[in-house]
Amino acid sequence: MTLRLLLVDDDVLVRSGLRVILESEPDLTVVGDAGTGREALEVAARTDPDVVLMDVRMPDIDGIAATAALVARDPRRPRVLVLTTFEDDDYLFRSLQAGASGFALKRSDPDELVDAIRVVARGASLVLPDLTRRLIASHVPTRPRGAAALPELTGREADVLRLVAGGLSNAEIAAGLHLSRETVKTHVSSVLLKLGARDRTQAVIAAYESGFMTP
Amino acid sequence: MAASLAGTGSGADHPTAPTRLPRAGEAGSAPAGESRGAAGGQDHGMSWTAPTHAPALAPRVRALLAAARPGWPGRALYVLAGLPLAVLYSALFIGLVGSVVAVVYGIGVLLVLQVLAVARGLGGVERRLARTLLGVDIPDGERVRDQRGVVRRVRRLVLAAGTWRALGWLGARVLLGAAMFATLVFGLAAFVALGWETDWTVVTTLPLLLLMALVVCLTLLVLELLVRLTAAAAPRLLGAAPEQRIAALQQSSRRLADRQRLARDLHDTIGHALTASLLQATAARRTLTPAGDRPVQPDFARQALEHIETNTRTALSELDRVLSVLRTVDAQGDPAPFAAPTLADLDDLLAGLRDGGLPVALVVDGIGEGELGEVPAGLQELAYRVVQEGTTNVLRHAGCPLTVAQVVRVDGLLVVRVCNEAATQLDARPGPGGGRGLAGLRERAAAAGGTLTAGPSPSGGFEVCATLPLSGTA
Repeated sequence: MTLRLLLVDDDVLVRSGLRVILESEPDLTVVGDAGTGREALEVAARTDPDVVLMDVRMPDIDGIAATAALVARDPRRPRVLVLTTFEDDDYLFRSLQAGASGFALKRSDPDELVDAIRVVARGASLVLPDLTRRLIASHVPTRPRGAAALPELTGREADVLRLVAGGLSNAEIAAGLHLSRETVKTHVSSVLLKLGARDRTQAVIAAYESGFMTP
Repeated sequence: MAASLAGTGSGADHPTAPTRLPRAGEAGSAPAGESRGAAGGQDHGMSWTAPTHAPALAPRVRALLAAARPGWPGRALYVLAGLPLAVLYSALFIGLVGSVVAVVYGIGVLLVLQVLAVARGLGGVERRLARTLLGVDIPDGERVRDQRGVVRRVRRLVLAAGTWRALGWLGARVLLGAAMFATLVFGLAAFVALGWETDWTVVTTLPLLLLMALVVCLTLLVLELLVRLTAAAAPRLLGAAPEQRIAALQQSSRRLADRQRLARDLHDTIGHALTASLLQATAARRTLTPAGDRPVQPDFARQALEHIETNTRTALSELDRVLSVLRTVDAQGDPAPFAAPTLADLDDLLAGLRDGGLPVALVVDGIGEGELGEVPAGLQELAYRVVQEGTTNVLRHAGCPLTVAQVVRVDGLLVVRVCNEAATQLDARPGPGGGRGLAGLRERAAAAGGTLTAGPSPSGGFEVCATLPLSGTA
């Protein structure tokens, strides 16, 4: 199954470089590119990509607002992977809050970038788990501990959510709880459903925002 | 590296999973608290059990006294040193009065200045004394010595509020010294009177001893009160004057703003150019490496190299400018405030681009010789950035067509325009957006009360145009 990608960056050189790098992977295909947030929304509606690689700072609509608009249009697809030049915490957290599934640095190794795209598309783990967890933990306003704001989770689901919020992948959770991967997948899906989260990144944010997890 | 990012390399992750689990289970906050607790426990074990084994009495007594009244040796020393110092300061005041009287006879001006300089110097000594012995935090005031030229130094010496406050402090020290002296003398006299000039009988011994203890306690109490009064007054009279503190704050916030601007510039220019170059280089390498059914694309690679060349050249010239700013120091050897580029720097900028092959002309209109200062500095920088971004984008996206940069002052407006002829590079994409900088520049133009437009021009090229009010908020 090929993943359909949309590249959004205001620099044509970044886009053309990325296009060549990503198209050289057999399972990735670039279905469109855009230079502004507004253009990204148009092209996304036309091409129906699986993953949007989104720059943050752009003319007219920036990457954060464009991400929010894409999520509002359809919470299931496309997933958004934010691409940044530098690790600017505020921008990154705001883009996750807006609904991005993860972020990657433009300077990262091509293999890492490609892996990040696959991870975002599959949703079995966080992209850059440690960095993402730290970013969310340090930016979410601290609340008193307690699961009050979360809907009723079973004991197992609460365990799974704790581990997801700790940045563990499905495979790692399965190994840690002595469960099969399929069971873990089922638990994760029902946690996401109960939290109303579109992916695990949003589930981690919800876990910290509710005070279920504390920084 | 692929496995570590995806987190699906289960073979490699298995060994780490058990150790990570409990940590995640404790909601992330536990490990920090745990390790802190463990370290604290160790500390206690080390420092509190060891002395019971060692019978060294002196350190324990010292620790006991220090715990009862922290810093008391310093305060005692301060009181004792206060007595001779008060005598010295009284002499200084007498000298001041004397020299003021001498002014009447026309010879005392230098003497007055001398006394004031000595008073300032003593203020410095007093500041250090209070810091060391009383543990009071007193910021340094301005240094008259740092002023250039005798006249300026003398003027600051006489006019600075610090001088007169230092003098006031010395006067207060004289009074406090007298009070301390009186307290000590009175206490000692009462002590001696009770001890040696009364009849000690079996009946009177206990009340007399109690009275003597009371005298000692009262004396110490009054001294302690006096020292506290001193410590409270010291920062007000010896510290930096409010206007100096405000000036220092303003300077540091200016420095901070400078640094933030520098960071933003580095991000927008060099950071961005390097990122684009990196991606182009990575892509070029891929197109030159045959793999599977993918053909080698030397054309793409050649073009990518051209882009990298341009990007690197402009990044280096920006780096050069930033470094020269960072290296500049002012007369005192402090780093100079970050000098923003001005319209006068445009010649250098365009000369660098001409070296890169871009035929570019600069037209400045409505700003005559010596009138540059009439354009606000913030506006000049913004204009420079517009020209920089516009011309660099031409190189990036259109190759080397004929380009004109225009800066015109007309009717209270500064119009900055960069336009180029049709692209010489066949594959150039004149799409919207252009360089990353345009988004930021548009924001800055709006903040300055102006506008920035960018788009294809009728002649088939591209045009960036900023219209900025001269009386704007830039």
